[in-house]
Amino acid sequence: MAAVFSGAPPQGGPGYSFKQTPTAASASGERQHSFYPYTDNGGSTLGISGADFTILAGDTRSTSGYNINTRYAPKLFKIGGEGPDNKGARIVLSVVGFAADGDALKERLDTIVKMYKYQHGKNMSVAACAQRLSHILYGKRFFPYYVHAILGGLDEEGKGALYSYDPVGSYEREQCRAAGAAASLIMPFLDNQVNYKNQYVPGSGVGHELQAREAVPLPRTTVEQLVRDAFTSAVERHIEVGDGLQMMIITREGIEERYMPLKQD
Amino acid sequence: MNHFPQAWGRPRDDIYGAYDHSHFQTHGPGGPNQHTQRPIVTGTSVVAAKFKDGVVIAADNLASYGSLARFTDVKRLRKFNDQVVVGFGGDVSDMQYLNRILNSLDIRENYSNPENPLNAKNLHTYLSKVMYKRRSDFDPLWNHLLIAGLDGESKPFLASADLLGTTFSSPTLATGFGAHLAQPILRKTIPDEASVANVSEEEAVKLVKECMKVLFYRDARSMDRYSIAVIKSEGVDLKEDEKLENQSWAFAEQIRGYGTQVN
Amino acid sequence: MTSIGTGYDLSNSVFSPDGRNFQVEYATKAVENGGTAIGIRCKDGVVLALEKLITSKLLKPGANKRISTVDRNIGVVSSGLLPDGRHFVSRARDEAASWRSTYKAPIPTTALANRMGSYVQAYTLYSSVRPFGVTAIIGGWDSEAELPVDGEVGSGPSVGAGGKKEDGKRGGPFLYMIEPSGSYWGYYGAATGKGRQAAKSELEKLNLSAGELSLYDGVKEAARIIHVAHDDNKDKEFELEMTWVSSLDGPTKGRHEEVPKELLEEAERLAKKALEGDDEDEEEEKMEE
Repeated sequence: MAAVFSGAPPQGGPGYSFKQTPTAASASGERQHSFYPYTDNGGSTLGISGADFTILAGDTRSTSGYNINTRYAPKLFKIGGEGPDNKGARIVLSVVGFAADGDALKERLDTIVKMYKYQHGKNMSVAACAQRLSHILYGKRFFPYYVHAILGGLDEEGKGALYSYDPVGSYEREQCRAAGAAASLIMPFLDNQVNYKNQYVPGSGVGHELQAREAVPLPRTTVEQLVRDAFTSAVERHIEVGDGLQMMIITREGIEERYMPLKQD
Repeated sequence: MNHFPQAWGRPRDDIYGAYDHSHFQTHGPGGPNQHTQRPIVTGTSVVAAKFKDGVVIAADNLASYGSLARFTDVKRLRKFNDQVVVGFGGDVSDMQYLNRILNSLDIRENYSNPENPLNAKNLHTYLSKVMYKRRSDFDPLWNHLLIAGLDGESKPFLASADLLGTTFSSPTLATGFGAHLAQPILRKTIPDEASVANVSEEEAVKLVKECMKVLFYRDARSMDRYSIAVIKSEGVDLKEDEKLENQSWAFAEQIRGYGTQVN
Repeated sequence: MTSIGTGYDLSNSVFSPDGRNFQVEYATKAVENGGTAIGIRCKDGVVLALEKLITSKLLKPGANKRISTVDRNIGVVSSGLLPDGRHFVSRARDEAASWRSTYKAPIPTTALANRMGSYVQAYTLYSSVRPFGVTAIIGGWDSEAELPVDGEVGSGPSVGAGGKKEDGKRGGPFLYMIEPSGSYWGYYGAATGKGRQAAKSELEKLNLSAGELSLYDGVKEAARIIHVAHDDNKDKEFELEMTWVSSLDGPTKGRHEEVPKELLEEAERLAKKALEGDDEDEEEEKMEE
């Protein structure tokens, strides 16, 4: 099977050209250091949606390798609303990965959402914004924005809405999502604590009879505490996560912003 | 037709002969455009710290050609106007290009808006977009910039932009080797934004000079002549020909096994 | 200047049999109705002044500036059709920027005057365009110090080959006036617009060729001349707009800027006083008669 994809000529058959593409190295023998347009600025983000709210959170550390660039670089951005401070915005975008792409993405989405209001005289719905974001990412599929985005807000019924994305625009509405450096540390914790994965009703039986504990929308205080716990734990185990925790809670009243220090080690 | 999809549509060697790679020249005239692949003449660290009512920024006056100390009076701090100074690390030709861009920007801004000159925050936004655009075109400006000055509310402002378009802001910043060697020293005195209010101009200048000293001893691409600027609401005080005081490598002669003396 | 009916005035770029280009002459007419603009070349700088006629009481006082900056060290004031003046300035700025990108240094005032002269002249050559309806005064200070090349780093060798040596005088104040025909001359004092005759005779009295007049005195004279040139009886109200450019050690540090408010008000106060003084003299003379 491997031979089929290796580009090797069919056995006994004629050879074909372009078996291997020529490289600069083969032409002159010298190797050039070429420019790599991405970097990873570390950090983690997470979002959880509730019955009538959505929480997005991210640490504020920015890193380059083992260096800490700064202890305060927000990864959460209000989208839409009025003016440079996004007054009255009801949508929050979190981006983690390559920070320059994150900033560029944020700025594009923000202008689009603002232009939408100028042109249509009403606020963009979260669902529409979510699909637009997907299209922006997909539009740069061949030179992607190297970020994991999470978009949060309230849907048309007032329920918490949370959308998560891959760098090229594939997206999905979810209850909760962790992204970034410590995603693999936080996500299983969230699965267990938000969606009650691997939790069962005691005494409901054995084997296939065993009943899974049913997931219910969690109250806000519980969710906030989950977020704090997730990050304090991630800080202990991942060097790129730390310094500060920024949270944005979107409710019918607007966006509440919280900041909590994390360990700086 | 055969069952090898990767061969479909390709010329058969037994009919056309093997592909002649010389037709596809990847270098020389007629080849694709070559963008900057690496910096050539470079400046090393830029160091900066906020204090109570302004920002101090410093960079030495050396431009290196690899390990050769090529130019020894290159000024890497550029005063943009009375409230902004830009510090350049990295490629010197790209620094000169950015200098010219900034010059024409200043002239054009003055045509349309002579009463409200650009502040440090404005300039940082502008420069970071220039840097990001060039990296997205795969033609980067090989620099790491620090933009020091005052923001729209006349508060101290310090932020960085690099060849990838990455931006961040912090009460103390250092590029290149300075990120490893100077930043920990600076952070000892100015750990966070709140502590900036307790730092006087004299303390900040002393701190930055201390960093320049450490860099002079431990960064092989550095020198003891440097530029230092203080930006306050009163204006910019830029000194371009400072010398680290009482610093000398003479002691190295005395160290056994260091120089020509082998045992 | 009777060209009516001859047909020689209908197209640009066409001479009349006696060697005149009537379109250019008509453009000059447009200038002759504009507010007076003057420029004075002083020993340590240049002053530009403009009589800005107030066309409506609904215009905000002090807004709508008419004297423009080109690069950092050159000022342009024009009289005639406003939009033509703005296009002139826009072209001058492009020329200055293009000079910079070629030579990595600011354009000398004389080079700018030359390029703009050529540009304006080109608009007298083709039937598809009309000449500029402005006469522009260009005043600038060329740096007397050795300027670094834009973006230059380092100072080069201080001695030996490639080292510095003191040479002759360089830089200084420059003043040019460009007419719709494209012809331009360097002046000690230049005036155009409606009140140019009065302004010119006042400028001549200043003995500018001696190069003794200081920039501060120039500002005061400029204000006075604009007031003298203004005809109270026939003209609308006006606003005095004034800019200056000094040497590097002068008040504007080689940059073209507006004259500061206090100085402008002081100059205008003195100008009015001087005018009233003249009136009183006349009245006294009449009394004596």
